[in-house]
Amino acid sequence: MIAGRLSAVSGVQAISLSIAPRRGAVSLVEIAVLASCIIAAAVVSNRYAVDIMIRTFLWAGLALAWNIAGGYAGLISFGHAAFFGIGAYTSTILLLNFGVPPWFGMFAGALIAACAGALLTRVCARLRGPLFILSTLAAGEVVRIAALNWRSLTGGPEGLEIPPVPNVVDMVFKSQWPYVAIIVAYMLAMFALSAWIEQTRYGYYLFATRDNEDGASAIGINPSHTRTAAMALSAATTAIGGTLFAQYFLYLDPTHVISPDISFQFALICAVGGLGTASGPVFGALIIVPLSELLRGLLSQSTSGLHLVIYGIIVIVVILYFPSGVSGAIGRTVSRFFPAGGFAARVQTEKYDAQA
Amino acid sequence: MSTILQLLVSGIMLGGIYAVMSIGLTLIFGVLKIVNFAHGEFLMLAMYAAWAVVSATGMTTYTAMAVVTPLLFCFGLLVYLLIVRPGIEKPHLVVVFATMGLSIAMQNLALVAMTADLRDVAPLFGGTPIKFGPLYFRVELLLGFLISIAITLALMMFVKRTYIGKAIRATVQDRDAAMLMGINVPRLFLLTFAGGSALVGIAGCIMLPLYSTFPTVGLNFVLIAYVVVVLGGMGSMEGAFLGGICIGIVQSLSGYYVAPAYGQMFYFLIFLLVMIFRPNGLLGQRGAAMVGINE
Repeated sequence: MIAGRLSAVSGVQAISLSIAPRRGAVSLVEIAVLASCIIAAAVVSNRYAVDIMIRTFLWAGLALAWNIAGGYAGLISFGHAAFFGIGAYTSTILLLNFGVPPWFGMFAGALIAACAGALLTRVCARLRGPLFILSTLAAGEVVRIAALNWRSLTGGPEGLEIPPVPNVVDMVFKSQWPYVAIIVAYMLAMFALSAWIEQTRYGYYLFATRDNEDGASAIGINPSHTRTAAMALSAATTAIGGTLFAQYFLYLDPTHVISPDISFQFALICAVGGLGTASGPVFGALIIVPLSELLRGLLSQSTSGLHLVIYGIIVIVVILYFPSGVSGAIGRTVSRFFPAGGFAARVQTEKYDAQA
Repeated sequence: MSTILQLLVSGIMLGGIYAVMSIGLTLIFGVLKIVNFAHGEFLMLAMYAAWAVVSATGMTTYTAMAVVTPLLFCFGLLVYLLIVRPGIEKPHLVVVFATMGLSIAMQNLALVAMTADLRDVAPLFGGTPIKFGPLYFRVELLLGFLISIAITLALMMFVKRTYIGKAIRATVQDRDAAMLMGINVPRLFLLTFAGGSALVGIAGCIMLPLYSTFPTVGLNFVLIAYVVVVLGGMGSMEGAFLGGICIGIVQSLSGYYVAPAYGQMFYFLIFLLVMIFRPNGLLGQRGAAMVGINE
């Protein structure tokens, strides 16, 4: 398997076009989905619908960021809320205390988060599987408790509020459309980054390290460097999403922003959509976020929490019976109808198929 | 002086409670090599079940154990058959995400069925603490601690002396070799998962008088349980007991001398330090840290 992948490494090919979602290619299905996202963002004007769209695209971008570590590098992290929080808090604190515009502040947050992510990966270098997951969970909790108690910096449990005064420099807008534009751009940038990683030499290093660490180091890949870089990149892009979150909601508190629930949400969106693919997190977010918002709207009169029961059950069913996620299912269906597309859905299914 | 002594003793007792709560998790990890991310919700279910039995019949939570433990055993059986077994041969991610989905579903089902209200039971003897020399104990804490010692000892005897115990130890060491020696490993998985859940039932009954129950009660405790299990070494029962007591003492001392809010931070930092310097835990099996390495 490794030999097969490396032959592809020898010449970095341009991103190719295929019909079904497939690694290292941008597919017609994906282009259609992303194009309809952009069109929807441009056309829809209902305030409630636009709000759901903003949340969906933001979560899609964040899930793509998580996927770089969790999907491509196999570093399943349940502590990404910490990076999200670092991004949100850094830009907000810089804005409130020093007047630094979030347009720059978000890169400061990304830098701090990248360092934190690299440190975490180095510290947990020897851990695999469940222990790595639990360590990231613990690291996330350390950051949450620190933010909760460091009142002078973070405002403690009362949180921080960005004054709702519309100002382009402060990235605060009166109408929704600038937010839609920024967040769609974030999602598209994350998608492009993921699709690009998939077909670079570095992407192949990541897949090799994830699938067979000993094999990867035998052919001269440094697994530790490869992993650390993936986590740093994932943390930095998550932090940028955190800044956008802060600018849209204009309010931050540790309990909601750095909670383990946020980390779980990143992971579950990727799991439902399809881990380790550029399209998976987008599909996952497009299904899960509007579904839970709509269910919340429909069911809130009767009972709160019912929508999350349904959500939990969907997660169980998808992960047990469609382990390559929605993305893999779409890939299989499309290539059944267009065998001329030539490629079976190769998204992450190889590993599962080998196990089955 | 007597303050420190009092803090140490309460810490040790609290640690005993944490040990009971974690021992099922460590057993399941040792044998099945999976982490049940719905462990906290199993505990929540046990506490609600104990509360329901107590408020329906008026008995104490300790006698309610006779009902709650078999109930959790059956629940564990059901979860194993429906969710864990279909995923256990797949990459470890599948069970991680499936149990996480279960955790979300159970938490919110509890919210729908029981609302977010706190449920608790009346304290024993009107809540008067026992005085023992210069030290004071809460009756429920003392009882919980004694039960936890009894359970740990009983489990250790069970694992050392019985055939199933031997099979469990063999499977912990080497699953494939155990299977080749004629151990029915799939059935052992079933028994271990259900047995581990039954232990959570006992823990729920001990903890209900000490803490009230609410739908997200599991999250508070499951994080402690992970720390305890990792500290002691995943799969080690003696380790879980030792780890529980360490965490109990840390919590009790830091809660008094620093601040309760930072107490949590201390044990997560301990957790990370253990992960860095001794990833197999204090008494863990060799190589536990490498489990799940992409095979």
